[in-house]
Amino acid sequence: MIKHALSVLFLFAAASIAAAQPTPMQTPSPAPAKTPTPQQAGPPAPHTNLKVGQAAPDFTLPSDISGPDGRKVRYKLSDFKGKKNVVLAFYVFAFTGG
Amino acid sequence: MKAYQADIAKFEGNDTQVFGVSIDSPYANAEFAKQIAVTFPLLSDIKHTVVKDYGIFNEEGGYGNRATFVIDKDGIIQHIDEGNVAIDITGAADTCNILSHKKATQ
Repeated sequence: MIKHALSVLFLFAAASIAAAQPTPMQTPSPAPAKTPTPQQAGPPAPHTNLKVGQAAPDFTLPSDISGPDGRKVRYKLSDFKGKKNVVLAFYVFAFTGG
Repeated sequence: MKAYQADIAKFEGNDTQVFGVSIDSPYANAEFAKQIAVTFPLLSDIKHTVVKDYGIFNEEGGYGNRATFVIDKDGIIQHIDEGNVAIDITGAADTCNILSHKKATQ
């Protein structure tokens, strides 16, 4: 009786191992399938959430230009409102030559 | 940046202020400006606030993505180029040309 119970237990254990096995084997397969999705969605580089027609976020930033006082001239985007169009050319690093 | 400098007259002639923006220091930018002879200001976003506001900061790489934004006299974004597309300034130049023929509402 004990022997029988043990063999049932063994069978059950074997069955659960067998049942468990396909799971870890299947896990890697959806994973590589998932990987191309972000790649297809675009390059890993971030994309702006701003859209044409939206207000441009204001900022004040120091420039490379030295003012009469020797300090770097600061520019505020909203200072150009009603005066000039502004082109903001974001570049990656100064020494990429872009 | 060199492309903008080469065509700076196209922009300035259209009542447009061009800025280069990077996360480099003002001193690195000054050196860069000297090297490639740019006459328009290069802005330093050392604290990454602007690149984050404009949604082009790469958190993993710790750098700003390449992008061009054209903002009209009302402070409204009129044109966006991102990534390698932003190297070509034609779209930005055309937008400025169109904008210059439009009057600011404010």
